[in-house]
Amino acid sequence: MSATATLTSPRAARRLPVPTLLIALVAAAVLPPLIGRTPILSDPNALLLCRACAFGIAAISLNILMGYAGQISLGQFAFVGIGSFATGIVTGVNDLRYPWLAGVAFAAAAGAALALLVGLPALRLRGLYLAVVTIGVAYAAWQWLFRFERIGGGSAGKVLPRPYFGTHVISGNADFLAISAVALVLIWWLDVNLVRSRFGRAFQAVKADEKVAASFGVDVARYKLLAFMLSGAVAGIGGAVYGTAFGTVTGDTFDYSQSLLLVVIVVIGGLGSRVGVVAAAFFAILLPVWLHLVNGPFTSLFHHGIDGIALMLNALLLMYTIARHPDGLAGAVSEAREKRARRRGGEPPLPPTRPNLPSLGRPSGMPEPRKLRPGTPVLDVRGVSVRFGGLQAVDNASIRVDRGTIVGLMGPNGAGKTTLFNAITGTLRPDTGHVELLGQDVSDLPAHARAALGVGRTFQLIGLVKGQSVYENLLIAQHLATPYGLASGLTRVGASRWYEREVRERADATLEGLGFQRYAGTPVGRLSHGQQRIVEIGCALVTSPELVMLDEPSAGMSPAAAEDLASTLRDIRDVLGRTVLLIEHNVPLVLDVTDELYVMDAGRVIADGEPTEVVQRPDVVTAYLGAAPAREGALA
Amino acid sequence: MLQVLVLGLMNGGIYAIFALGVVLVYRGTGVLTFAHGEIGTIALYFAYFLVAKVGLPWSIGALGAIALAALLGGAFEFLFVRRMVNADPVSTVVLTVGFGLFLLAAEFFFFGASPRNLEPPTKHYFFVIDNVVVRPWQVAALVLALVLGFGLQSALRRSDFGLGILAAAQDPAAVRLVGVPLSRVTLTVWSVGAGLSGLAALLVEPSVGVIAPGYASELFVIGLAAAVVGGLTSLPGAFVGGVVLGIAQSASSRYLGSFGVSGLQYIVVLTILLVVLLGRAYAPEVRRRLATPHAGAPSTTTAGAAA
Repeated sequence: MSATATLTSPRAARRLPVPTLLIALVAAAVLPPLIGRTPILSDPNALLLCRACAFGIAAISLNILMGYAGQISLGQFAFVGIGSFATGIVTGVNDLRYPWLAGVAFAAAAGAALALLVGLPALRLRGLYLAVVTIGVAYAAWQWLFRFERIGGGSAGKVLPRPYFGTHVISGNADFLAISAVALVLIWWLDVNLVRSRFGRAFQAVKADEKVAASFGVDVARYKLLAFMLSGAVAGIGGAVYGTAFGTVTGDTFDYSQSLLLVVIVVIGGLGSRVGVVAAAFFAILLPVWLHLVNGPFTSLFHHGIDGIALMLNALLLMYTIARHPDGLAGAVSEAREKRARRRGGEPPLPPTRPNLPSLGRPSGMPEPRKLRPGTPVLDVRGVSVRFGGLQAVDNASIRVDRGTIVGLMGPNGAGKTTLFNAITGTLRPDTGHVELLGQDVSDLPAHARAALGVGRTFQLIGLVKGQSVYENLLIAQHLATPYGLASGLTRVGASRWYEREVRERADATLEGLGFQRYAGTPVGRLSHGQQRIVEIGCALVTSPELVMLDEPSAGMSPAAAEDLASTLRDIRDVLGRTVLLIEHNVPLVLDVTDELYVMDAGRVIADGEPTEVVQRPDVVTAYLGAAPAREGALA
Repeated sequence: MLQVLVLGLMNGGIYAIFALGVVLVYRGTGVLTFAHGEIGTIALYFAYFLVAKVGLPWSIGALGAIALAALLGGAFEFLFVRRMVNADPVSTVVLTVGFGLFLLAAEFFFFGASPRNLEPPTKHYFFVIDNVVVRPWQVAALVLALVLGFGLQSALRRSDFGLGILAAAQDPAAVRLVGVPLSRVTLTVWSVGAGLSGLAALLVEPSVGVIAPGYASELFVIGLAAAVVGGLTSLPGAFVGGVVLGIAQSASSRYLGSFGVSGLQYIVVLTILLVVLLGRAYAPEVRRRLATPHAGAPSTTTAGAAA
């Protein structure tokens, strides 16, 4: 199977092979009870390891939110706590007495529900404000929600009975450790699948830039909420394990400082690094024990708090990590590895600047494009106006783009070209006017829905996920081509396998066409500007959209590369049969490739028509060069 | 009614002082601090150490506490914040969270979990307004917050250095251009902001009476919310935010009861916080819709709900 060979290459997120998963599950289930029967693993230490597993699960949950989706949460233990109490309510002797697994399911549901509530304001609040709100939630959960007798069990706390098989109760801590470890392995596996699915990729895109994500067809609001719910569900499961390990939990078990400790863990481990955050969680929990082992004059000097020292060390480590390695310890490790590789091998050769774009059909996951009546334009913009405060950025602009043409949009800086682009793609909503795409009025559709109709675009400042590899970006760009559900994506059963294989084949074909095979695993941010531009065009084309909108593609390219760009653009029209709307300042390039040219100035469309004619009009020349007497053909 | 007002004002003064520290640090360095609650707590522990263990008079202990708080804030800025000039705001937030946790751990480490008692010198001075016991410290806190909230901004405007503090986060280059050393501005705001936290913790202690690890951070979180409610950049706003949250809390416990559980105050604070933040976030859109009721297609008014 040569296809599998490309799937496991490091350029994309790694998968967890089934044999490895099975071995890990068996080891997690069998080893702890066996070792627990020997003197190596004492009962208290087994309990401590259960706690570490629960923290590991909680760290994965926060990593989903902060590391993948870029949403800060300083209140993750509100979700962990609600998971614990939910389990107690479902399994408790004085409550419902359902089996433990039902408790875990309910814990996940309760965590997801609470996280959804917290996620709703996050649709509009970000960064610092979200941090303040989430820490407020952590306080409110700890001081109010968990104080309800019915939820938190009052001062006596909530009792969570251990799970049982038939009549056998798993009372030994080493035995329960097996269950905790299995839970951690399963969550780990789900998280691996998440990263390799359209959902994980959409999170990455949302984290990098919401506008770019929407241009790939990602419904930003929906995926933010999904990230919160997934994170809350996983945190709830962590809470179920945590609470069942200890047997009794009170509201104070989940005080706000636990949430902060979890943030510390995730940042030390490295946001986005699963191995890193779980390792950091185990480190943070086991550190006090190791300090006990080296118990000497230093620790006995102060009678209180091994815990105190451990937390101090953790906090110091965090401050050092952030100040030195913003990507955490995992980032520091990969940085060192890269440095070594660079010393050894050097850079791969430069890719060609004139790519051969592969002629890909419409992905099977996307609906067939609407049949257009002959003569219907691909894009019809009528009377669009956009006002920013006192500035009329776009003033009653109308343009029309026919199928199979390259249409140019020129104008001095600040003329409103990019704003008009944003109004067309739905990145912003115009004050007045209509936008018709492929014969359909899309004036009321959000950006991601317009992308789904068949619009690909590039951005002035490169619309890619800079931290991800070229290959990963080509997958992210195919969000719309992978219409499978969450369950299929998380388990990699059913539809997701099929669609994922297809988008990977398309990504491979595009890589080859671009000549970027050797750069497949390179983070996009490391490429030169011109290379990034080519990757971006590849991403805009990989779902074969009907209309491709390019915002100053030649900006920052060398003259030679810009010449190559002209033939690439013609290929998009002639070979791929696509329609192109192009913002461009490079006049020779525009004259070379465009079939029709619009010129904007101060928000208005001042000229349109045959390109060579348009650039000679006096008003166009004046707009570009000022009011000086225009010479014949000054721009050309 | 009067009772609610008096109680709210007394608490609000404390929140306002914390909020002022937050706003000062935010305007001076663009960093939202989560560490100042623990700075206040550890300062209070230091006062306890000086007064109860060393045997110094209370006033010296209090001065020592404020000095330690300012020192901690300055040291943190000098050692860590300074290196994060170009980092994104969220990782700086996490940095301050780490510092707060570090101090919390230090409290456990040096003083243990059991509460300590710092006897205030004026335990027997108080007066009663409408059944509310008011202590001079609380009045002092309110007056101080009022003076700082409304006086500090105009005082800062009078000197280049003060203007530098007000402008530093927004336009560091401009601050350097007028000849104010930026590093001195940031060091000053962190020291002063931390000193304010120590002061707030000292002023609230007599009415609570015991010190425990994490003691001031609960008050600080409300102070942080007050700063955000007040706009995060406005010193008068910080005062108003503190007082509003204080009164909202006392009013809610008076009129809403507690539904059988404590901690309703956090729900009230969270609600106000969300209403203010979301109101601010949605305001431009609402205003635009009001201005152009028939923008775009006829169904535009419902389209916004889906966004």
